[in-house]
Amino acid sequence: MIKRPGGELASRPLHFIWIADSSGSMEQDGKIQSLNTAIREAIPHMKKVAEDNPNAQVLVRAVKFSNGAQWHISQPTPVADFAWADLVAEGETDMGKALELVAEQLKMPPMSDRALPPVLVLVSDGQPTDDFESGLKALMNEPWGKKAVRIAISIGRDADPEVLQKFIGNSELKPLAANSPEALVKHIKWASTAVLKSASSPAAAADVPKPSEPVASVPIPTAAPIAGAPTAGTPAGAPTPDAADNQNNIDDVW
Amino acid sequence: MTANKKLTEWRIIGETVPGASHLRAGIPNQDSILQIRESSRNLPIVLSIADGHGSPKCFRSDRGSRYAVKESAQLVSEFLSERRGKFDLAEIENKGKEYLPQEFVKRWRELVEADLKKEPFTIEEFKNLEEKSDVKARKLVEENPRLAYGSTSLTVALEEDFVLYLQLGDGDMLNMSETGEVTKPLTEDARLLANETTSLCLPKAENDFRFFVQKITPEQSPAMILLSTDGYLNSFSSEAGFFQAGTDILGMLGAENGFETVSENLKGWLEEATQMGSGDDCTIGIIYRPNALKKPETTVKSETVTAEAITTNSQTGEKTVEIPETLLPEMTENQEDVTVTITIKKDKNKISKPPVVTVKKSGEEPLKADFGNNAENPKTDE
Repeated sequence: MIKRPGGELASRPLHFIWIADSSGSMEQDGKIQSLNTAIREAIPHMKKVAEDNPNAQVLVRAVKFSNGAQWHISQPTPVADFAWADLVAEGETDMGKALELVAEQLKMPPMSDRALPPVLVLVSDGQPTDDFESGLKALMNEPWGKKAVRIAISIGRDADPEVLQKFIGNSELKPLAANSPEALVKHIKWASTAVLKSASSPAAAADVPKPSEPVASVPIPTAAPIAGAPTAGTPAGAPTPDAADNQNNIDDVW
Repeated sequence: MTANKKLTEWRIIGETVPGASHLRAGIPNQDSILQIRESSRNLPIVLSIADGHGSPKCFRSDRGSRYAVKESAQLVSEFLSERRGKFDLAEIENKGKEYLPQEFVKRWRELVEADLKKEPFTIEEFKNLEEKSDVKARKLVEENPRLAYGSTSLTVALEEDFVLYLQLGDGDMLNMSETGEVTKPLTEDARLLANETTSLCLPKAENDFRFFVQKITPEQSPAMILLSTDGYLNSFSSEAGFFQAGTDILGMLGAENGFETVSENLKGWLEEATQMGSGDDCTIGIIYRPNALKKPETTVKSETVTAEAITTNSQTGEKTVEIPETLLPEMTENQEDVTVTITIKKDKNKISKPPVVTVKKSGEEPLKADFGNNAENPKTDE
């Protein structure tokens, strides 16, 4: 048998990063516990999505922000081995610092140019208390920051939609509003399955540019908008979080 | 190029396989590969590969990549054939840089338009697109039908004195020297990240080509050029692993029956790569120069074996030559035999033409020399 030429073969890494608000306000009305529960419940679904595409290696980690920002789960962990550690709420909302931390990890290296577009999911219930713009700039200065699929989930009525919209950076994709534990579970599940599936799918591996753009853009999955906003579309095969469910069948708690 | 200049021999190997994830999703192989070689002349050789985009919007990209290799290879071949014997590298570089991308894109679009005229988009195609993507995707394709055919293009053309490289979009070309040194002839395009690629379906595609003409000199002549779609290179955990593939293939081609070995195994290697790696379609095109890969001929030190060392069996007439150990080439464990060229010195003034001596590895057995028809009286130089 002739030895195969070349070095080690490997599926392409897909980095999935939770950017979670653990400020003191998340303690109110059990929001932090709901977030912990929602992410924990989403993990088996993430594993299933990852299993369906053996050519993408889904690596999960998490950043938390309150007084400053820290890696909550620092190692890019294969989703099969990923376990959620509960967040504890306290302090301010230093979202900008969280984005700086993420930006640092999206440099090349440690990222490689063969990776699939990273998925960043920002979850917050409030206004940034630090220099958000600076953090966003650091993120967008990195090629992988710009190319990342960026999803934002607002918890409760006090979240700053403008800030979250800036993070998303795509007017066609709105922040997902979670005004109840049930809606939060739904949105977290959507972000960690439908978005993940879209970002890792073979179709996503070769999209073409929009005619108005100089270079092809990654097919950013478009999620169901918050209530009242026009539907922008969904990622391929993605079950859209139902806006009607959010607003009519699920009572607002937050 | 002079008329009596000995032409360099080049050989071509290529293969394409559908991606593992494409097979799971029921998507066809959207890569293509094509070579054009003038039958009346060894050169130019033109080899082209293309990678049709896998997005649902690009539901005819298998056709798009076929049109890409067809038009690119044909165009470059024409471009060089027109200049046969009148190569001005500066002119080729200057004209090729602008003319080839513009003309290629124009011809590719004509093929796409002809295809659309012959086979307009069907309701079924749009229905599939909406199922896999959304209404907005359909609208984009309706606005720019070329999206459905989107493809990259990588083309290399060889002439006796130069190599021409032309690339649009992702994928890679490697240039390997005789010593196995790997270089990339084209500059990197920083925009090609996260599966984003420049494409033939873009409105200003001609502006996104990369182009290079490499002069071939006795000192700098590629031993092998490897073209790969991104599905293959993305299957390695690092770029070094991909480079290693080039080096390994170069080594295999230099071994005995190298062409057959690589040709027969290439498909399997690509299938393994897509299964264990990217999941994308994988295509490789290889052009190599066999002469550059030949192992150095086993030579004997410039000593002579005197005629006195040859003995003749009086009964069988079999001749035996005793060769001093210092003159024998080093032999490996698995080596069956080697060919040694020796010079037999008949007398002080006459040197025989070198006979061929096959030295068996058997070790203890006397080494035998077959001098052929001239064994009795080796012809000597006058």
